[in-house]
Amino acid sequence: MDLKQRPSRLTAAWPWISTLARLGLAAVFLIAGGLKVTDLAASARAVNAYDLMSYDTAKVIGAVQPFLEIALGLLLLIGIATRLSAAIAAVVLVIFIAGIVSAWARGLQIDCGCFSKGGELTGGRTAQYGLDILRDVGFLALAGILLWKPRTKFSLDGLLLGER
Amino acid sequence: MSKGNRGRDRTAAKRIVEQQKAAERRRRVTIWTSVGVVAVLLIAGLVGWRVLANQDSGTAQASTPSVAVDDGTAFAVGSGPVTVDIYEDFMCPICHEFEQQTGPAIAQMVTDKKVTVRYHPVSILDRASNGTEYSTRSAGAAAAAAVDGKFVEYHKVLFDNQPEEGSSGLDNAKLIELGKSVGLGDTFAQAVNDKTYDSWATKATETFASRGYNGTPTIVVNGKQVTGPNESLPTTEILTQAVTAAAG
Repeated sequence: MDLKQRPSRLTAAWPWISTLARLGLAAVFLIAGGLKVTDLAASARAVNAYDLMSYDTAKVIGAVQPFLEIALGLLLLIGIATRLSAAIAAVVLVIFIAGIVSAWARGLQIDCGCFSKGGELTGGRTAQYGLDILRDVGFLALAGILLWKPRTKFSLDGLLLGER
Repeated sequence: MSKGNRGRDRTAAKRIVEQQKAAERRRRVTIWTSVGVVAVLLIAGLVGWRVLANQDSGTAQASTPSVAVDDGTAFAVGSGPVTVDIYEDFMCPICHEFEQQTGPAIAQMVTDKKVTVRYHPVSILDRASNGTEYSTRSAGAAAAAAVDGKFVEYHKVLFDNQPEEGSSGLDNAKLIELGKSVGLGDTFAQAVNDKTYDSWATKATETFASRGYNGTPTIVVNGKQVTGPNESLPTTEILTQAVTAAAG
């Protein structure tokens, strides 16, 4: 139990590290969703460019995804059910990474549509799958921190549990 | 049992009760916040679904230009045996490059009755005009020009006057002025101002995407996409060869 242990410096620091991870991940999802939500048709084309599903399915995914990203970003921002939110974020990121890997493996030349409406890569521009994956793995690490140490400062969870 | 021991037992019992209470509270908070998270995500998904449905009903009512061919998505030029489909966004610099580089050769093939060119204006770069949706407006204007029989001319002036990608694009007054310069009149001006064919442009862009194309320009000769090495822009030579091969 935490009560019995004498808190080491690291134990005292974890809530702060987790808080940074939580706010960082929140920003990632809010920005990613915000950039897409203004043009759902473009978002649909970005999903469709992965060539993994029919256009009609891509259209639905493309429309729903930005709203989910924004909602998840807001949930992380206020820090509610942090561990669950982080788990959902991790699942979403794993799906994104899998999508990029599959596009890379099939030699598609597309923009991942991660922080844009993506889709179309016209002559001259080349896809940067390696960097995209590396970045997503970084985000996954943030989610990992929260899964492991979900206690954070300035969170609704903390408020509801009567922590300071 | 000494007094001290009893006192310690009592505090221990108190602590256990407090811990149980805290655990119970944590359990309740975890359950309800989890329910909250799932509910919020479900609602967000439904909102996205609803917005999509609304947009779909908008494009379903789109008025298709009378002269459009290929499921109402394109404007045909020429009457040759080989079909060349060209998907372009009037905001796309590489489309402009393609028109400058290969446009004259295509015009020649049209004159020689070798090809029928089907121009598909699409609007994939709406994000690149500061929210004025220049891609959609210009594609809609091109449709209006086609209805009045001036597609080729208007297509040319639009590319000759292409605004910089990321700028606000040309405003409607300028689109109308360009139309006048190629002999388009009041019906054209009204169609531009009324955005008569703007939802058609959105719909044509959806058809483009549903055919599996992602970028502009996309050039298709008799159903087969033509690109340069590494999916780059095809040179005039590559396109000419593709047309010759398709003609058999």
